[in-house]
Amino acid sequence: MHIAEGFLPPVHAAAWTVAAAPFVVHGVRAVVRQVREDPDSKLLLGAAGAFTFVLSALKIPSVTGSSSHPTGTGLGTVLFRPPVMAVLGTIVLLFQALLLAHGGLTTLGANAFSMAVAGPWIAYGAYRATRRFGLAISVFLAGALANLATYGVTTLQLALAFPDPTGGIAGAVAKFGSIFAITQIPLAVVEGLLTVLVVRLLAHNSPKELLRLGVLRRSETTATAEEARS
Amino acid sequence: MTRRDAPLETLAHTGPWRERHPADKAVLALGLLVCAVALPPWPGAAVVGTVALVLLAGPAGVGPGRAVRLLRAPAAFIVVGALPLLVAVGGPTVLRWDPAGLARAGELVGRSLAATLCLLLFAATTPLADVLPRLSRLGVPPAVTEVAALIYRLLFLLLDTARTVREAQAGRLGFATRGAALRSAAGQAGAVFVRAFDRARRLDEGLALRGYGGDLAVDVDAPAPSRRFIASSVLLLAVVVTTTLLLRLVIA
Repeated sequence: MHIAEGFLPPVHAAAWTVAAAPFVVHGVRAVVRQVREDPDSKLLLGAAGAFTFVLSALKIPSVTGSSSHPTGTGLGTVLFRPPVMAVLGTIVLLFQALLLAHGGLTTLGANAFSMAVAGPWIAYGAYRATRRFGLAISVFLAGALANLATYGVTTLQLALAFPDPTGGIAGAVAKFGSIFAITQIPLAVVEGLLTVLVVRLLAHNSPKELLRLGVLRRSETTATAEEARS
Repeated sequence: MTRRDAPLETLAHTGPWRERHPADKAVLALGLLVCAVALPPWPGAAVVGTVALVLLAGPAGVGPGRAVRLLRAPAAFIVVGALPLLVAVGGPTVLRWDPAGLARAGELVGRSLAATLCLLLFAATTPLADVLPRLSRLGVPPAVTEVAALIYRLLFLLLDTARTVREAQAGRLGFATRGAALRSAAGQAGAVFVRAFDRARRLDEGLALRGYGGDLAVDVDAPAPSRRFIASSVLLLAVVVTTTLLLRLVIA
């Protein structure tokens, strides 16, 4: 769920850009450092970014019977960590704006804050907090919460920009929230399930990559591979 | 790259402004975008929207029918997003019709549609491959622009992979039930992940054999910015601002 071009008043668009900037700059520094230490990692980051874009273009079943798209940031966060996702997510949003007219340039900061900053950090917090309970639970929460957090922050951004005449900001949160909640909450659950399925598949097919990315521990590789096979 | 994946990029690569410097198009389209957002929505959105639509349909070579078709999907999002402004919450009834909301929603839809037309004008005339290397001049570190360029290179290949896998799954009843559809989507993501990292590894090996030292800078075909085009654009922007402000005075 992206905010469309020109949808936010200029002051709000600028304020959200300022809010997202420190996180994106922090991510850019992490990327520059990583690339300086290991020039080959540039290619892997390119692969990770392209993967994130394609993930967001996949069709997943939606509650209304039609299909919708995952945000892909939960899986991206589990695989590549939030600072890198802040950069990759912002690049993906820029690409979506310029290739698909989905989102926009004036709303890039606001969309980056919700999808590339808030979603990944909340997902990562949940993932780390629940990692000891098993890979499936933590990955499910990361996928579902990244989606829900993105939707929640977008709702807040819209409510702050267009408060309700009687209900104020809280009333506007209820209005903007309810219009998308019917599809978005089940979609978050579906994205959580999808993320678990993808990670199980990757643990089976590409355990080396997952070990390198720190998602799997060496003790888990055999067990997860067998679980995926059964 | 296929027309289905990125119709805007296809238009940008084949349109009459393909050879123009991105700065020319940025001054015109992004200047109009700033006008769309900064000017009072009524009559600013109508003036900017009309100018952007005429430019898209005419000189930019998109054509009126295609311009409207390109606008359709973003317009649906904009209209649905503006619906909550038509109602107010609280008071004796939980939800009630807000008569003042219609004007606010109208202004919001107008401003957003005009801004989207300006975005379309830029996106349908400027290939992303022309924009990315020049982001370094705006202060973006080269490491980030190079990662973005790599994403661009891998993107269409991976979209193709996802589509091929989807078609194969559809032929095997992979979308017959919701559960199957979800498993199929996961299968596509898994295939894309493996393909992405395989391509990155192969690219790495190919570059290493050519003496790759960590610098992916490429020569950019660079026609100089046209002073005439930029001057005309600035003049047009001045006309847009003046017309909007004059019309506003007349309406008031």
